[in-house]
Amino acid sequence: MENFNEEIAEILEVDAVNMDDHLASFDCWDSLTILSILALASENYNVTISAEEINDAVSVVGLKKLIQSKVQ
Amino acid sequence: MFVVIKIHQRMNLHFKNKKVTGILTVLPSKEVLFEDEMGNYNAPIGKSLKLKAAMGFKSKRVVQDGITSSDLCIFGLSHLFDKQLLCKQDIDALIMVTQSPDYIMPPTSNVIQGHFGLKHDMICLDINQGCAGYIIGLIQAFMLLDQKSINKVVLMNADVLSPIVSKKDRNSNPLIGDGASITIIEKSIDNEEIFVNLKMNGEGAFAIHVPAGGARLPKSQETGLIEEDLNGNLRSKNHLVMKGDQVFNFVQTEVPPLIEALYKYSKIDKDDIDFFMFHQPNKFMLNKLADRLGVERDKLPSNIVENFGNASGVTIPLNISFNLGDKLCNKKYRLCLSGFGVGLTWGAMIIEMKNLAFCKIINK
Repeated sequence: MENFNEEIAEILEVDAVNMDDHLASFDCWDSLTILSILALASENYNVTISAEEINDAVSVVGLKKLIQSKVQ
Repeated sequence: MFVVIKIHQRMNLHFKNKKVTGILTVLPSKEVLFEDEMGNYNAPIGKSLKLKAAMGFKSKRVVQDGITSSDLCIFGLSHLFDKQLLCKQDIDALIMVTQSPDYIMPPTSNVIQGHFGLKHDMICLDINQGCAGYIIGLIQAFMLLDQKSINKVVLMNADVLSPIVSKKDRNSNPLIGDGASITIIEKSIDNEEIFVNLKMNGEGAFAIHVPAGGARLPKSQETGLIEEDLNGNLRSKNHLVMKGDQVFNFVQTEVPPLIEALYKYSKIDKDDIDFFMFHQPNKFMLNKLADRLGVERDKLPSNIVENFGNASGVTIPLNISFNLGDKLCNKKYRLCLSGFGVGLTWGAMIIEMKNLAFCKIINK
């Protein structure tokens, strides 16, 4: 997952993210952002996550851990 | 040493000597632009415009108040009778695939039969299916055509869902459109082969549903109360509700293996398919699906939602009428059709279409 930070920054429409940034604090945060994260997880990591899991992950690091936990 | 692996028998279906001879799509003339309704949504304009760009929302067709699924089908059938593209006497079966029937009872297909005073020696059959309803309807038509006394089947796909989608639901309202299509299926002596793969999963039955209005939860004052969801969408239990994340994940994980299985079963390679005419949920999902299938995007049209909206089981025949149209009247194409959604139901079919008597769209 070495490119994860850049990938998530692009989706969140910022130049860079801090690991403890809250997902919902980004200006662009909405259902489309969540869908883009689902697509990222599915395309780049071949894992399936739900909108609820993304919301529960709260932060960038939480999201990274969520995806990591599902990568086989 | 040999290892014996037990492989699940897939739901592979095979049909022979059947052909589609005409497709007519009926669209309501009323056009609603995404921008017309953007003010209804509980979201900043900028975010809605971003959603529009990503999903390919632009314009959709919806019925005027009071117009039902049967009205659209009757309009289309009248056109075919008037233009002598279909003879009343020849219809041996009338299949109606809809999730918005005129009544709980009787079947809408019987209502249509009665409207035209069609002969009594026929089968009228309503099927409750949505996004994969074209595949299901064609399968039913092919099975009926195995009977000696059935030579011509009229398959109607119609849905009028705009009245049961909340105008303040940014999750569903921008994409839902209304429409109907009529497909004529007949016996053939050309030895065409048709291959189908179909799957269903009722554990996902509530990923797309309308909670109230059936026997489980009859409509009441209470079911009409508007509630707000986590994303700020407003809807009542009388409205259609869709779990976007579940549907997206379902399509991306289940449809590609289904299509792969169909290649294997039919022994037809991806490169031997001219067009992938799929159900049209939105551009975003279809482009991701095309990439995952390794299919060039111009072989898998995704322009139906932006032009007309998603009218459930109508999207595949509408896709064919709009993107192939007249070409199918004098050319031959091998198509891979695929529908996926409510049920959950997902199916795919490889079928050749050629020399159709008509393949077009009319407006009501």
